[in-house]
Amino acid sequence: MTRAEFITRLRRGLSGLPATTIADIVADHEAHFADAQAAGRTEAEVAAALGDPDRLARELRAEAGLKQWEEKKSPSNAMAAIIALIGLGAIDVMFLLPLLMGVLATLFGFLVAVVTIFFVGGFIFAAGPLTLPPGGPVTAFLSGIGLMATATFIGSLLTLVTVGVFNAVVWYARLHFRLLKPAMEQA
Amino acid sequence: MPETIEIQLKKGVLALCVLALLSHADSYAYEIASRLTKDIDMGEGTIYPLMRRMQSDGLVETYLVESQSGPPRKYYRLTAAGRQSLEQQKAEWTAFANAVNGIVGAAA
Repeated sequence: MTRAEFITRLRRGLSGLPATTIADIVADHEAHFADAQAAGRTEAEVAAALGDPDRLARELRAEAGLKQWEEKKSPSNAMAAIIALIGLGAIDVMFLLPLLMGVLATLFGFLVAVVTIFFVGGFIFAAGPLTLPPGGPVTAFLSGIGLMATATFIGSLLTLVTVGVFNAVVWYARLHFRLLKPAMEQA
Repeated sequence: MPETIEIQLKKGVLALCVLALLSHADSYAYEIASRLTKDIDMGEGTIYPLMRRMQSDGLVETYLVESQSGPPRKYYRLTAAGRQSLEQQKAEWTAFANAVNGIVGAAA
């Protein structure tokens, strides 16, 4: 493989990352080729020693995904990190998926319950006092507010648990990061 | 997928080796990669994901040095956190290596 082919494939594999990140990584590898050339090595030699550019791109992309998740815990960053790690083979999908599905289904169930409680609370809060409830309008008004507050509280707990679950997945994946392997297999 | 003990070992000590090299002198990626390839037979491409991770973990930082030929060269140096991590990993490695040597040596 020539230097140009290597860089093209690397760049293609990185597409979607921030432009500055891509430029940075490409510059690193361009410099590597230049240094190797100065040391008298051919482009093909260096490309072979660097390893598969598609694989390198996946590793660099996974690293960027993890970093984004660690900096900002948003659902889209979580998805991006997980997808990148699965692409890398760092997460054993067969093992993890049933487990993760179970956890996510449970979390989703809780979410539905929380939203329901919130809306029921809102309904009692708004409409309850008008329907002559037992205990009087004030009781309905207050219990409505109470239900909404409870739902909000459980919702925030749920968020914490979800963040915890994704952190655990990231930790698991880090443990299985096979950084050296591809390069060694090629050697 | 069986991984040989050799690969696992190298994977574990790679970061330690990079930190140790940088503690002697600041260096650039090609130099670090050449050194590690020569001494512990590591894939050259491994260095870039590793350096990016160490940089985002705050163990190393970069600065540019003008060169006569071509664009400026990116050098890496240890941060205070990197130095601390090196000391800690070095102690762990030494203790581990001594324990293994004790067992393997005694068995021989």
